[in-house]
Amino acid sequence: MRKFLAVVKREYVQRVRTKFFVVATVLGPLFMAGFTILPAMMFGIKSGAPTRLAVVDESGTMYERVAKEITSGKKPRDEDVVQALDQSSSGNNNAKEKIEQANKLSGSTYVVEEVRLNGRSVGEIRKDLETKIQSHELDGYILLPANVLKEGQAEFRGRNAADVFTVSYVAAAISRAVRGQRLAEAKVDEKFVAEASEPIKLRTTGAGGQESKGEASFYLAFGAGLLIYMSVLLYGQFVLGAVIEEKETRIAEILFSSMRAFPLMMGKLIGVSLVALTQLGIWGLAFFTFSAWAAGGSSVPLPQIPAMLFVYFVIYFLMGYFVYATVYAVVGSMVTTTQEGGQMALPIVLMLVAGFLLSRNIIRSPNSSLSFWTSMFPFFAPITMLMRIATETPPLWQILLSLGIGVATIIGLVWLAARIYRVGMLMYGKKATIPEVWRWVRQS
Amino acid sequence: MEDTKPTLVLDHVSKSFGDFIAVSDLSLQVRPGRVFGLIGPNGAGKTTTIRMIVNITAPDSGRVELFGQTMSTAMQDRIGYLPEERGLYKRMKIGEQLRFFAELKQLRGAEAEKRIDTWLKKLDLFNWKDKRTKELSKGMQQKVQFITAVVHNPDLVILDEPFSGLDPVNVELMSDTILEQKAAGKTIILSTHQMEIAEKLCDDVCMINRSHKVLDGKLREIRRSFSRNAVALQFQGEDGLLNDPTLVASIRQHGDDTEVLLVPGASPQELLRRLVEANVAVTKFELVEPRLHDIFIEKVREVA
Repeated sequence: MRKFLAVVKREYVQRVRTKFFVVATVLGPLFMAGFTILPAMMFGIKSGAPTRLAVVDESGTMYERVAKEITSGKKPRDEDVVQALDQSSSGNNNAKEKIEQANKLSGSTYVVEEVRLNGRSVGEIRKDLETKIQSHELDGYILLPANVLKEGQAEFRGRNAADVFTVSYVAAAISRAVRGQRLAEAKVDEKFVAEASEPIKLRTTGAGGQESKGEASFYLAFGAGLLIYMSVLLYGQFVLGAVIEEKETRIAEILFSSMRAFPLMMGKLIGVSLVALTQLGIWGLAFFTFSAWAAGGSSVPLPQIPAMLFVYFVIYFLMGYFVYATVYAVVGSMVTTTQEGGQMALPIVLMLVAGFLLSRNIIRSPNSSLSFWTSMFPFFAPITMLMRIATETPPLWQILLSLGIGVATIIGLVWLAARIYRVGMLMYGKKATIPEVWRWVRQS
Repeated sequence: MEDTKPTLVLDHVSKSFGDFIAVSDLSLQVRPGRVFGLIGPNGAGKTTTIRMIVNITAPDSGRVELFGQTMSTAMQDRIGYLPEERGLYKRMKIGEQLRFFAELKQLRGAEAEKRIDTWLKKLDLFNWKDKRTKELSKGMQQKVQFITAVVHNPDLVILDEPFSGLDPVNVELMSDTILEQKAAGKTIILSTHQMEIAEKLCDDVCMINRSHKVLDGKLREIRRSFSRNAVALQFQGEDGLLNDPTLVASIRQHGDDTEVLLVPGASPQELLRRLVEANVAVTKFELVEPRLHDIFIEKVREVA
């Protein structure tokens, strides 16, 4: 036991004192902030100038409406968005403010000009507009065929067809215009239509009775998942490096002549996990301090984080860490050099990345069956289950089940790893093959 | 001496890895207070044997008995081990490193600190205590590694190639330290390729080749039994009588010496008498004890 503690202590003290640890602890939150905020900002930023669109109206009746809809600045699929935003609003914001806010967020404005046929053929006009697009006088044009009301088909040609925001925006605007026109032709009072279409205001509260804040909880879930992903990756790599160092320098031989392989491996895993917890603890403390400071008079809106989420975070971090670090320890004992270790560890990294890539789907529909199964799979659960908890806390039995599966997996992996580690650490010269490793497991 | 209880007994020990037999039916005894040489060519099974002695691996069959008890984890603390493939944590300071390894042998606190300092001073390393391993020369690292093997005052010290990478001054220092340990009553197992050093330090020798023991016993007795009735000569004058086939089997020039191997049954006295009679000016006449080096090569070739 005291030997085990000596190993834990060495791993801990040696690592916490390094410059890398200090720098990572200080810069970590900055990177995290960068990772979470930058993509959001990049979506929002558009290159300054308004988008210039031309409208060719063959029907002769639609231009006014389309131009109005486009310049009025409603977001794509406005009702959906308004509803979504409304759900996320803390209650006192009305829909209009929300729309304005959304427009500010997307930052896009539109300028519309009408192109009259004046006897020219559509083909001629197209040609003319294409040249204008190419010479950057125009960003795109909309072609409304004569039968647009009947057929419900229009055409959009933009310089950048991949600009999904503009495309969906334009599509939504034309839809509204067409709908409005159709209703008008059916002699339905437009004022009535507007009133009838007014979305209901849905006040959402989370399961805990707190009012949930959609956007905030999205970033919270995303941030928590990202943090787990990054720390498991980082500290898993530490374990890999530590194991390879001891094998490469043959320190393992001395260690094994003093203690058994199992407490040595566990000491290593636990020592590094304590380093990770120290770092996360410092970050947590910094976050609390910052929140407290921000709450006292600053206008920086910070998401309210339920205390339980921190507990779950630590639990799922430990689960992720031990699942992956144990596998890393096995890989480390199988290879002979750091380079080989990097190659062998690639599938592990990919597994972790896969778990993280699921985050979008999980956050969008935390109760889907995809979310359920991925949060039961122990290699994904640390990220996916935590995201579910942060967005829409699943029933307790699901959390406990995923933890149970995680613990069972860890026990199994540690059992397996100890056997491979003991033999692998004393095998020099070449990388072990899978059949060889399997023989070690069976023999010991 | 013969009736003292052996420190270490290997009793029909075998170990194989898959189809490869590393050690086959090896039995040996190491007596306390002696330097025991474990010699043999590369791949003979020395390292595997040592790993079984220090309880890194367990034998497939046979028994390892240490201090009169069957080998166990608890007994590892009474062993000091300097492996052939050695390593230290590159980025760790020497003092901390030694403290860590001492702790793994249940030595800690002020006592550990005191012993570490004593050893560092003894091996001229005290000024390097706060330096990191990577700042040390290879020879210095070697000495640090040696300290990890002896700092906890073990009863059995196992040294696998302790002289590799050392300059002559440090070889001398290391040899003296090993003999001091012996004088202090420690049992030492020394595995080396350097036969001159083994010859100088070892009391007993066990030679293994291709996983089998080929020779075992007190070094002096082994050398005597390998005595080939040879004489090293330096002389001036007539040497026709060395061609006498009833007396001389073969002649070999060995540096300034002429090494004369006598026919079986012929005595060195007879040769000396004949030389004096023939009026040859003899400046050196010495009975040649076989060197361990020659015995080693002879034994290895015998099997091959």
